[in-house]
Amino acid sequence: MTVAIEYYVLLSMGLFCIGLFGVLTRRNALMFLMSVELLLNAANINLIAFAFYHGNLTGQVFALFAMALAAAEVAVGLGIILVLYRNFRDVDVTVPTTMRW
Amino acid sequence: MEPIQLPEWTALGPALLLAATAIALFVVDSISPRSTNRNVLAGIATTGSLAALGVAVWFSMAGVGATGVDGFGVIELFDGQFVVDQLALYFMIIVAVVTALVVVASYDYMAGHTYQAEYYSLVLLAATGMATMAAANSLVTIFIALELASLPSYALVSILKDNRGSVEAGLKYFLVGALSSAIFLYGISLVYGATGYLQLGNIASVIEAGDAAAYDGLLGLGILFLIGGIAFKTASVPFHFWAPEAYEGAPAPISAFLSSASKAAGFVIAFRVFTEAFPLEATAGVIGIDWTVAFVALAIVTMTVGNFAAATQDNVKRMLAYSSIGHAGYALIGLAGLSADGGELVMGAAMMHLLVYGFMNTGAFLFVALAEHWGVGRTFEDYNGLGRRAPVACFALAIFMFSLAGIPPLGGFWSKYFLFSSALEAGLLVVAAALVINSALSLYYYSRLVKAVWIEDPVLERDALTQPTGLYAAIVVAAVMTVVLLPGFGPVVDTALEAAAAIV
Repeated sequence: MTVAIEYYVLLSMGLFCIGLFGVLTRRNALMFLMSVELLLNAANINLIAFAFYHGNLTGQVFALFAMALAAAEVAVGLGIILVLYRNFRDVDVTVPTTMRW
Repeated sequence: MEPIQLPEWTALGPALLLAATAIALFVVDSISPRSTNRNVLAGIATTGSLAALGVAVWFSMAGVGATGVDGFGVIELFDGQFVVDQLALYFMIIVAVVTALVVVASYDYMAGHTYQAEYYSLVLLAATGMATMAAANSLVTIFIALELASLPSYALVSILKDNRGSVEAGLKYFLVGALSSAIFLYGISLVYGATGYLQLGNIASVIEAGDAAAYDGLLGLGILFLIGGIAFKTASVPFHFWAPEAYEGAPAPISAFLSSASKAAGFVIAFRVFTEAFPLEATAGVIGIDWTVAFVALAIVTMTVGNFAAATQDNVKRMLAYSSIGHAGYALIGLAGLSADGGELVMGAAMMHLLVYGFMNTGAFLFVALAEHWGVGRTFEDYNGLGRRAPVACFALAIFMFSLAGIPPLGGFWSKYFLFSSALEAGLLVVAAALVINSALSLYYYSRLVKAVWIEDPVLERDALTQPTGLYAAIVVAAVMTVVLLPGFGPVVDTALEAAAAIV
């Protein structure tokens, strides 16, 4: 028995909305990173489900690339958050406000 | 036919040379990790980017990717994952030019910085990503190239680790960038779901065959998300909020790099994705709306927001950042005008604007770099009277400002003129009117800077200013090119139109 494709898309859309909510409301930079991971993984679920649905492997292979890129992005992001903490003694993204409109 | 036939993969030569240069810098860094020998490091980086520039110009001249009688035809690599046509080479030239200027200017600007080799190799890696974006022909390679350009850029913006502004800028750039690349990836997954392919040509043929008609919602949402990702990379509304902060806080050569090369690379994927993968009429038949409408709205809003915000700034770098958003709006006309018959004219005009912009905007940001090097301050008042102390650089600044505003004898006028006339021809009266109004407004804040530098008296007397060789050389070259593009505009027009015709 296979699960219909609609449910996969619903799952990934739900995950995407949770991630987007996290991005928009969380003030902690680390929580922000986790929310971005949710967004990326929502896309991965889609890619893999659609690869199965369409019967070609393109989506699955791309999902592997996407995971590697997500890891690289987190590495760079953590580096930036580290220097943020050193300079501002906080990882709250609303604290650094030396520049305004 | 050439006496020696180069293998096909050499068509990616410019991007490969940039990558090789970045790796060479890593090798030097791993041999002597604490080396801050700027001569060697900046020398390698400059040589590499100039070599990439030379190869790209040579290929473009020799007709690689040209479809005419004397051309070599469009070269497809790795089963069509990459495509080297005139469009790709044109944007590789822009990226390589800006990289070379930025690297030369960084020689003085980054003097005394601890991490020299890392800095240059990150610049070259980001340039590699941008050059690869120009040739990418599948949503997979586009996304990977986009990340290769973005990730080093985040690090570069925040490379002044003890400077609060730089770190804050890096954080904001990273936050918006991570969000928008996730949105872009989700858009890719939706387009893949609707069509079953990631390669641009295959997506188009599925849409044209009508096989995607059952997935209109997925496809429409996917296209919307793709526009979001592209808007981030080109610093257009609604993802422009990072730009003023990132450009203001970043080291000025990096601001120049991001606002010129990165923006151009964003536009090349926009041009390629929307012309190759989503043919206008077939896509409109599936999703029920013409996607050029979105770009018409984005172009008008972006240029208006950018120019009005720029007019209220006191900080020179921030003014340039907002003006860069305004110019993204001008270049978006290239996509907005595609619906009409004169599609390639509009797109060619947008590409000309991006090339001219590559020189004049890089030059303007490098002047800010020079001012930061002197330590004169950041606001318009701080720049008062610089013309007496450094006439050459300030004359160049006047050229950049008037060219950005679009004053007739300079390069910026011609590209704006072509944009204006082709937009009129495409029937985009509102867009053309917005272009004229915004250009007139922009003259106010550009000439304000020229007035500060040349006419106002300095607030306090300052000592003689130094003349850093690298920064001066880069600024003078950018200024000369902004002027020389006037008599040399014929070939630029031809190349841009040919490049645009390659995909329209």
